[in-house]
Amino acid sequence: MIRVEGLRKTYRMGNVEVRALDGVTLEVTRGEFVGITGPSGSGKSTLLQLVGLLDEPTAGSISIQGTDVLRLSDDERTLFRLNRIGYIFQDYALVPDLTALENVVLPTLARGATERDGTDRARELLRLVGLGERTDHLPAELSGGEQQRIAIARALVNEPALLLADEPCANLDTRASTRVLDLFASINRELGQTVLMVSHEESHRRYFGRIVRLQDGVIVDDTGTKPSPG
Amino acid sequence: MLERERVAVYLASRSLARGSRTGLLLNVAIISLVFTNMILLPSIISGSVELFNEQTIDYQTSDIQVRPSEGEQYIGRVGTLLETINRVPGVRRASARHAIGATLLARNRSVSVPITALNPRDEVEVTRIHERMKDGEFFSGGERGEILVGQYVAGNEDTRRDLFASLGGVRVGERCTVAFANGVTREYVIKGIYETRSYLADYTALVTWEELESVIGGPVDQATEVLVRTDRAHDPAVVKRGLLEAGVQEEVKTWREAITSTVEDSIETFGIINGISMLVSLVIAVVVIFIVITIKAMNQRRQIAILKAIGIHRGVIIRSYLLQVLVICTLGTIGGLVAVGALEVWFSAHPLVFPDGELVPRFEPAALVENAAWLFLVSLVAGYIPAWRITREKILSAMRAG
Ligand SMILES: Nc1ncnc2c1ncn2[C@@H]1O[C@H](COP(=O)(O)OP(=O)(O)OP(=O)(O)O)[C@@H](O)[C@H]1O
Ligand SMILES: [Mg+2]
Repeated sequence: MIRVEGLRKTYRMGNVEVRALDGVTLEVTRGEFVGITGPSGSGKSTLLQLVGLLDEPTAGSISIQGTDVLRLSDDERTLFRLNRIGYIFQDYALVPDLTALENVVLPTLARGATERDGTDRARELLRLVGLGERTDHLPAELSGGEQQRIAIARALVNEPALLLADEPCANLDTRASTRVLDLFASINRELGQTVLMVSHEESHRRYFGRIVRLQDGVIVDDTGTKPSPG
Repeated sequence: MLERERVAVYLASRSLARGSRTGLLLNVAIISLVFTNMILLPSIISGSVELFNEQTIDYQTSDIQVRPSEGEQYIGRVGTLLETINRVPGVRRASARHAIGATLLARNRSVSVPITALNPRDEVEVTRIHERMKDGEFFSGGERGEILVGQYVAGNEDTRRDLFASLGGVRVGERCTVAFANGVTREYVIKGIYETRSYLADYTALVTWEELESVIGGPVDQATEVLVRTDRAHDPAVVKRGLLEAGVQEEVKTWREAITSTVEDSIETFGIINGISMLVSLVIAVVVIFIVITIKAMNQRRQIAILKAIGIHRGVIIRSYLLQVLVICTLGTIGGLVAVGALEVWFSAHPLVFPDGELVPRFEPAALVENAAWLFLVSLVAGYIPAWRITREKILSAMRAG
């Protein structure tokens, strides 16, 4: 599903070089539910952004479902993201001009759904993440937890083959977190979606089939049962 | 790919609905003004061209002007020619005119102008000078010893107000001595003064054909021009062909052909002024739209990055901005049309007064369409550039921009 080799990302700020990722090699098979942990600044978000085609690595290679994604043009990457990847940003990244519902409907329209079908699907997902009401409000009028759940619904609405979640529960209480993680687990199980999720929470560990631990931009631990490829 | 248009419409409609109303209204108002400005000058110009055309037809050339053939000074056997012309289908009436150089003297002042001899019964059918008598009356036919002068020939008592040399404000009933180019000198009573407001027509004087014959000392069967009025339903160009087919050997010109040589130059000048004014208007439109879209897209850098991150094609985002430009331009054009309509009503009631006539700006549909098309075209280009530029930014750096 995902094959990452020798991935490096160096940020240059003036004369200072920050090695956010310093040679990461990782293979994830289809249907895995992988947790990524590590201290703040260890490069978790950077890794997810690179796998999510939001940024380009300084060195290394990434292939997803057999596609060498670094060779794609900008437009091809956009299409790749639309068709195969659901991304939950650490800071939600909702479209401020769109209501909660419209934020979730938009990716379905881009995929060619009718507005009615898209709206039905969006409502269903918003209900699943526990946000049945207040869907006609703009993001600015909603709480952090509510915005986070909209971001989650948006990432899931097109049933992506790959779900990348950057601390999706950071702003949720225990009940809402459980609900979201149960949802991830069920789609991972039933639809065979591959999930990469960044989390610090000990309580999330039981959901992960595998845990990758980053520190200073390198993988220091990779434990867990790897389900047979399928 | 209608898919993309659909998503672009979705985004644009939300963006407009949730953006600032006042900002949108302001943009629309500016585009309305630009459009009105683009329309006004060409309308005044075509209004003045129209006025000039009307004056030329009514007071100088009628619908068709027949003049001596190349190298000749006169049209000979004009009596027969008139009969021929009057039989051509579409001709309402032909009038022979004979111009002769002369110097007029009155109130101790002298003016050299051509005096035109004409047959009043024919003339009233082909020109409208008789409707423009400022004072006195037009000829009724056969008058002798009387003369009609144009308002600029008569002039003002305060000669500083005159545009040309004049007879110092002579009045109807006063006497005027005329020295003709052939050496004959006569004394006439001024029967009337006409005011057509056409400079050329108002700096002439008129006598009857009978008077001319008495000055020449015998029957005159020669004319310097024959003016032909066509029936309203007939195109002068078609009637002209009829005249040529009927065997008219002289130079035949429709009023439009007669006008071109003199007016073409000034129309060309008008065209240049008009082009400059249009260019300035378009530059304003370009700048406004460019700034509007630049500001809008800059403020939405983060939003653009988010859209790209979730897989919205860059072309869709650009289109959503162009759609907003289209909405602004459409509303602006509608606003401009309303303004133009209001101006049309206003000017019909209050024409612009010029020394040579009252001018009503003519708002021509073709000009409206052309200017609107230009406005849309340049606006789309002006919107495209910043949208293209700003959507090119890398996703993450734009997302951090906040
Ligand atoms: N745009 C950037 N410019 C410079 N340095 C950056 C940039 N983005 C990230 N970094 C640096 O790269 C390192 C890894 O950052 P990253 O965001 O991947 O950490 P993280 O593991 O996600 O941390 P957190 O748990 O706090 O979200 C950090 O030291 C960070 O300061
Ligand atoms: Mg992070």
